Amino acid sequence: MIFRQIVVIMAISVAFGIVSNIVSPNKIPFFGHYRSLSSGDGPIVPPTAEEGDPPFIAIDVAEMEFSNYDAVFVDARDPEEFECGTIPGSINIPFEYMPDEGLEAYIDSALGDLPREHQLIVFCSGEECDLSLHLGRNLMMLGYTNVAVFFGGSREWEKFGLEMERQVRCDE
Amino acid sequence: MRRVIDNDILTLMVRMAIGITFIYASYYKIIGPGDFAKSIWYYHLVPGALINLIAVFLPWMELLCGLCLIFGVGYRGSLWLVTIMTVVFVVAIASAIARGIDLDCGCFKAAKSSSASTWKPLLFDVGLLVLLAQLYLSRSRKWFLAGR
Repeated sequence: MIFRQIVVIMAISVAFGIVSNIVSPNKIPFFGHYRSLSSGDGPIVPPTAEEGDPPFIAIDVAEMEFSNYDAVFVDARDPEEFECGTIPGSINIPFEYMPDEGLEAYIDSALGDLPREHQLIVFCSGEECDLSLHLGRNLMMLGYTNVAVFFGGSREWEKFGLEMERQVRCDE
Repeated sequence: MRRVIDNDILTLMVRMAIGITFIYASYYKIIGPGDFAKSIWYYHLVPGALINLIAVFLPWMELLCGLCLIFGVGYRGSLWLVTIMTVVFVVAIASAIARGIDLDCGCFKAAKSSSASTWKPLLFDVGLLVLLAQLYLSRSRKWFLAGR
C-alpha cells in the first residue's frame, strides 16, 4: 500500500515535471552539462573589494553559467584585447572608454534590450585588472540587479582549457 | 504522553505545518528550475547529468507530498517521501558544512555562495524530522480524505 502510494506520487511528479518544463518560459535542458573545474580555492576576490560590491564567482561557477544558462558575459577590456581572445559570445563594454555623460544609454545600447534582472557576468583579463569590478559597480548603479564578477577573467578561463573566441591573431 | 501524540488537532496542525512548508518550498523551484538546478550544483553532491532532472522533478514531488499530507490522501506514502527528502536535505546541508561550503541552503530560494549561517536550515530540517516523528506515532484518524 505504502509502496504503491510512493510510486504513484513519484510518477505524477515526473509527469508534471516533464510537462511543466516543456511549457515553462523558464525551461531548462533535461540533461545539463556540468564539470567540476574547482581548484578548491573559491572565487578570487580583489583586495579592493568593498561591501555592496557584486558577488565574485569562481571559474567553476562561471563555466556552469556559460554551459547551462543564458548568462551574458561582459568583457570590460579594450577592444584590442577583446579581439585577441575572450570568452565566446561575450559583449565588449570597454570600461576605459565609457563616457562621463550618457553612461546609461551607452551601456543599454551595448547590452541591447536585455532586461535589468538578466544574469550578467563581468570579467577582464585577470587578477591584475580591476576593470571588471568597476564596470560591475556601474552596472549595479544603473539598476542591473543580477551582476557577478568573474575576477579570474580570461586568463583563468584559458588556463582551465576552456574555449576562447579570437577575432585576430595576437602575439603574447 | 500517548494522548498528546494522538491528539487530532495537534496531528492536523503538524500535517498542515509540514505540508505548507513543502508547498512553499516547491514554489520558487517550479517557477525557476534553472535557479534550483544551480542550488543543487552548489552542493557538489549530485552527478552533473542528474542535476537538471532532479531540478525538474523534485519540486513537484514536494508540492504533491505537501498536498497529500494536508488533505490526507496517499498519506503514508507521502509521509515516507517527505521523511526521505528531509533526511537527504539534512545530509546534504551537513556535508556542505563539513566541507566548508558556505551557502544559503536553497531550500526556499536559490542557493548562492554566502557567508550566511548554514546551521539555521540544518536545525530547521532537524525540527521537521521531530514533527514527522509525531505523525508516525500519532494514531489520529480524523480529517483524512482517503483514510490513513
